[in-house]
Amino acid sequence: MRLIGVDVGGTFTDLVLADTETGTVTIHKVPTTPEDPSIGVAEGVGGLCDHAGVSRAAIDHVLHGTTIATNAALEHRGAECGMITTRGYRDILHIGRHQRPQHYSIRQQIPWQATPLVKRRHRHVVTERLVPPRGDVLVPLAEDEVRAAARALREAGITAIAIGFLFSYLNPAHERRAREIVREEHPDAFVTISSDVAPQFREFERFTTAAMNAFVGPKVRDYVARLDRRIGEAGLTADLHIMASNGGVVTPAMVAERPVVTMLSGPAAGVLGGAWAGALSDRKNLITFDVGGTSADIGIVTEGVFAEATARDTWIAGFPLLTPMIDIHTIGAGGGSIARVDEGGAFRVGPQSAGARPGPAAYGRGGTEPTVTDAHVVLGRLVPANFLGGAMSLDVAASERVIDGLAAKLGLPREAAALGVLTIINANMANAIRSRTVQKGIDPRGYALVAFGGAGPLHGAEVARELGIREVVVPPHPGITSAMGLLTSDLKYDALRTAFQASTAFDLARMAEDFAAMEAEIAARFAADGIDPARTRTARAADMRYAGQGYELRVAVGDGAVEAGTIAAALERFHAAHRAEYGHAFPDSVVEIVNLRVTGIGARPKPNRPVPRHGDGLAGATLRETGVVFAVDGVAERMVTPVLARERLPLGTPIAGPAIVVQTDTTTVVPPGCTLVADAGGNLIITL
Amino acid sequence: MDTHVPVTVDPITASVVQGALENIAVEVGYKLMRMAYSSIIRESEDFGAALVDAEGRGLAESAQSTPLQSGPIPGYVKHMLRTLAARGDTVRPGDVIMHNDPYGGASHGPDVAFIVPVFHQGELVGFSGTTAHHLDIGALTPGSCGIVDAIDAYAEGLQFRAIKVVSEGVRNEAVWQILRDNIRASDLVVGDMEAQVAASRIGAERMAALVSRVGLPAFRAACAALMDHAERLMRQAIARLPEGSWRAETFIDGYLDDPDPSRRELPLVATVTKKGDGLVVDLTGTAPQVPDRPINMPLTGTVDVAVWLTIRSVLLDTAIHGHVPVNEGLTRPITIIAPKGCLANPTYPAPTIARFCPGNQLADTVMKALAQAVPGQVSAGIGNLKVIAFSGLSGEKHWVHMEIFEGSYGGRADSDGMDAVDTLYANTRNNPIEDIETHLPLRVERYELREDKVGAGTFRGGLGSVRAFRFLTDGGASVEGEGHHFRPWGFDGGEDGETARLDIVRADGTVQALPSKVPHMAVKAGDTFVCEGPAGGGYGDPRLRDPASIAADVADGLISAETARDRFGAGIAPGRAKT
Repeated sequence: MRLIGVDVGGTFTDLVLADTETGTVTIHKVPTTPEDPSIGVAEGVGGLCDHAGVSRAAIDHVLHGTTIATNAALEHRGAECGMITTRGYRDILHIGRHQRPQHYSIRQQIPWQATPLVKRRHRHVVTERLVPPRGDVLVPLAEDEVRAAARALREAGITAIAIGFLFSYLNPAHERRAREIVREEHPDAFVTISSDVAPQFREFERFTTAAMNAFVGPKVRDYVARLDRRIGEAGLTADLHIMASNGGVVTPAMVAERPVVTMLSGPAAGVLGGAWAGALSDRKNLITFDVGGTSADIGIVTEGVFAEATARDTWIAGFPLLTPMIDIHTIGAGGGSIARVDEGGAFRVGPQSAGARPGPAAYGRGGTEPTVTDAHVVLGRLVPANFLGGAMSLDVAASERVIDGLAAKLGLPREAAALGVLTIINANMANAIRSRTVQKGIDPRGYALVAFGGAGPLHGAEVARELGIREVVVPPHPGITSAMGLLTSDLKYDALRTAFQASTAFDLARMAEDFAAMEAEIAARFAADGIDPARTRTARAADMRYAGQGYELRVAVGDGAVEAGTIAAALERFHAAHRAEYGHAFPDSVVEIVNLRVTGIGARPKPNRPVPRHGDGLAGATLRETGVVFAVDGVAERMVTPVLARERLPLGTPIAGPAIVVQTDTTTVVPPGCTLVADAGGNLIITL
Repeated sequence: MDTHVPVTVDPITASVVQGALENIAVEVGYKLMRMAYSSIIRESEDFGAALVDAEGRGLAESAQSTPLQSGPIPGYVKHMLRTLAARGDTVRPGDVIMHNDPYGGASHGPDVAFIVPVFHQGELVGFSGTTAHHLDIGALTPGSCGIVDAIDAYAEGLQFRAIKVVSEGVRNEAVWQILRDNIRASDLVVGDMEAQVAASRIGAERMAALVSRVGLPAFRAACAALMDHAERLMRQAIARLPEGSWRAETFIDGYLDDPDPSRRELPLVATVTKKGDGLVVDLTGTAPQVPDRPINMPLTGTVDVAVWLTIRSVLLDTAIHGHVPVNEGLTRPITIIAPKGCLANPTYPAPTIARFCPGNQLADTVMKALAQAVPGQVSAGIGNLKVIAFSGLSGEKHWVHMEIFEGSYGGRADSDGMDAVDTLYANTRNNPIEDIETHLPLRVERYELREDKVGAGTFRGGLGSVRAFRFLTDGGASVEGEGHHFRPWGFDGGEDGETARLDIVRADGTVQALPSKVPHMAVKAGDTFVCEGPAGGGYGDPRLRDPASIAADVADGLISAETARDRFGAGIAPGRAKT
């Protein structure tokens, strides 16, 4: 089996080819083509095959992480959308939760008001009303009004339509009938119903998810179709799969229908890549730490399973989304983060970034602000002769100049100012990790930090020290870990039903019915994808809360017949999860099951473990010695430090820090007091 | 007092400590919101979380929640310390202290604080505190808003002055019994209080760990530095103002149906004077207190927060300035003068429980004064808010639901006002219709923008909302609101906005208009409250409005063609002057 993973970033498109028979892994990089990334992807895929000496027709699967949906949302460039909603509630999308995003601001703009997904003129109301608890019809659907609305939208040139009715998560019949009518009247429109994309309560969030799906829909659908075609034109016959925010891949057909599931496609692949790298060295409890030029993405993997975001913690471009996502915490901290002294005299680093252009002063592209990268250069941690394998030069004098400017404002020596930049950015990164570990009842000291991305391995050891973490894992190719992650993905589909059942009167038959219906729905999806049922499995879960609470915690529910014991075990898990998350539980209180969920996994072939290139001894790996500044007992000290070539490191031999390890896609810093080992699994392991 | 503070701390440590404190405050707020039971906390986010130093000086507050909850926490702690000292008591490790005295730092009685001291090697180093608006606090009628006929502080419910609900780790079960016995819907309320205790303790643990990590001397020095930094930011912003003194006056409805004129149409006056890099906000001219009606505003906890909120939002607007740390330093350059015995500085036991809307009107008054100094940084007059407490009995137990009804912002120098949002010192959230109807005998029959009621201007004011609640069973309701009589102010040629209104439509179809304050009234199944929110004032001459914006508002059905023509002059002068 031959698999290709393609991850499209802002500057480069990373590609990796794994041959599961020969065990070889080939990597490749081409410039991203922002006007239509499918061009770069198709060229890159072709180039990669040539580079690896593999026939294009011999590729079985192409797995792709895309930012088309993300960028459409962030840049607010999507379809002109229409909406059909319940009469009396035209402005749910506009009023939102009536809360301002910022407390202390008169001049702020509210995203859903200033840049609406659907303009009010295109929000049509129709007579219909459902009521809880079962979604009974209080007022029947006025089909003629739906028809009139569909015609009006067609005449207005609207190409994407969201349909959102109150309580549709309890009974989707009205939304489904409305969709039929719209398709009759406006066959070319991209139609989304809210009960399909997010069948759960909270109307603003559900309608927004449906509207976002419509907003990005045509763009993503067209992109995937174009990509499929271009790959074919490049001579490939491989299946194409797209990474979804939930950490699984889905088919182009699924993406075309529900593009909103790709909203965090890129970062999700990074978490998978981090998990894959950890597994190479038999590490299963991991904090993935993906640091690029402008941001750091943090994910948590426990016993090999990544954490999912809690309901209502998922936002894009200021809009809330109710779709299953890997829990990824992103902060504005990366190599391009700018250091400054603010008006009040405080020392700040980030979230502003010099980005790729002009970038850090060291890049010599006109950057004049001191950045994190410049601090690394001044401290000797980025070695000009070996930066990115020598592919790019570093302007050391420019870095010194901008750091000196900062140092003068702070009244500190150059090196103390540069160390300060790193101390502050590392503290910000550590706080972000605390918010996903300590604050969730997870002790980070039992986890290894997997540091990747262009800048992760520069910071990994010092961030780990800040958190009491004892081990840092640097993957084989830190710069393309996301592309590797794509290769490890499985097909993954989620189904959900709102239940609202209290532990005082559980209706087990209804739960069994709901689970069975969702399992059938997922089986049908897999059948449509042509997946062998023997390679699929499903897992049940429930979102629970103490009756009266507003936020749920997700716990696993056992398979098989839904019996009192099955649910009692799930309740026990809920109490334990509540204790872990909040510090206490209320075992005697009534528990409410808010949603039932089923996740379907379709197993896919996986790449083999890489065989690391290595050398025989430290002497052969040492390229040079250089002076690198570290803080020793709080004092800046320039220490003689070897610069080591990663691919020549001896396997399994402990090397005492300080050391700098260089490779084509990143630089790893091993501070004094730490020990480095090149692991047989292909990772670098730094022990603190 | 601490005598060990070194004179300086390096800016790196200061930055690290500030980031850590903010991170902890966010965690505490997040956990309280997620653990809480009643929708007023978990959905409306009417709660606060903050960390303060050993003297009660604010160090950081949670980013969620509402400013009127987090802002007062330092005041709660300072007064709690004074109350304990007066009793000859002190704080000890393992204590949890409950406090809600509106004449002692609290914002009003229902906003109960739970405060946990933080010790490092036996030495008090600070406090972690949370506040939350509780559903009921044992006042004369169900709910804790709309108690608009409380005649004194005793009629407003239970008063807690520095009560140790946990003393050195031992729960004071007698106090918890009093709470359960004297509060309606006590399962929810006491559950929320337990959530507060748990969340405050987490903050205390984290803060103690932070102090251990950086060391006490560095921690104290960093706290001093971060407060000094915020103070400098505020002083620099004030120094940029032109020299001058700016007076503004607005009015609150008070009790529009009251025969006594001293309870109706009450002026709020703010005179803001620049003194170097400080500001003096003088509230002289504000109406005398209403001794037997609870619209008086606690000076510490409501008035101060309203003044600080407005000055900060105008001078250090986070949309312009980015992240601005929130700590006591921001408040140091601001002096508030409020004559004793006025609405903004009442004398005990004048009642205060319904101070929410008057306080927000005071914030608006301060903005109206600042508008004269920095016209580009303000909005025209805001539409004020309203709260309705819906309640009833289910068997022997009460159900209570409090819903905050949004206002709207006035137009701004470069954009229209925000539509249908909470305003100024309030920033709560509505409850999802799908949550309300699933759990309560209520049906939300309508929730939309209020069309064609607009403060015209070059940049128009935000539109209000229309929200209708029908009772499905018999019950009761009480109302606490403002803005039925006075329109939000227009600015610089902009028109005034629109007043709010509230009708009850009875099951038989008869309609009765209600004033902005209604004490508890019986409601029958089928009766519907229809609440029309106010529209903010316009900014600038409406005839200078961009014709494309007028056309867009008509196309969106926000204003009628008649309004476009009559009030914006659309179509009358095609070659109109543009600024």
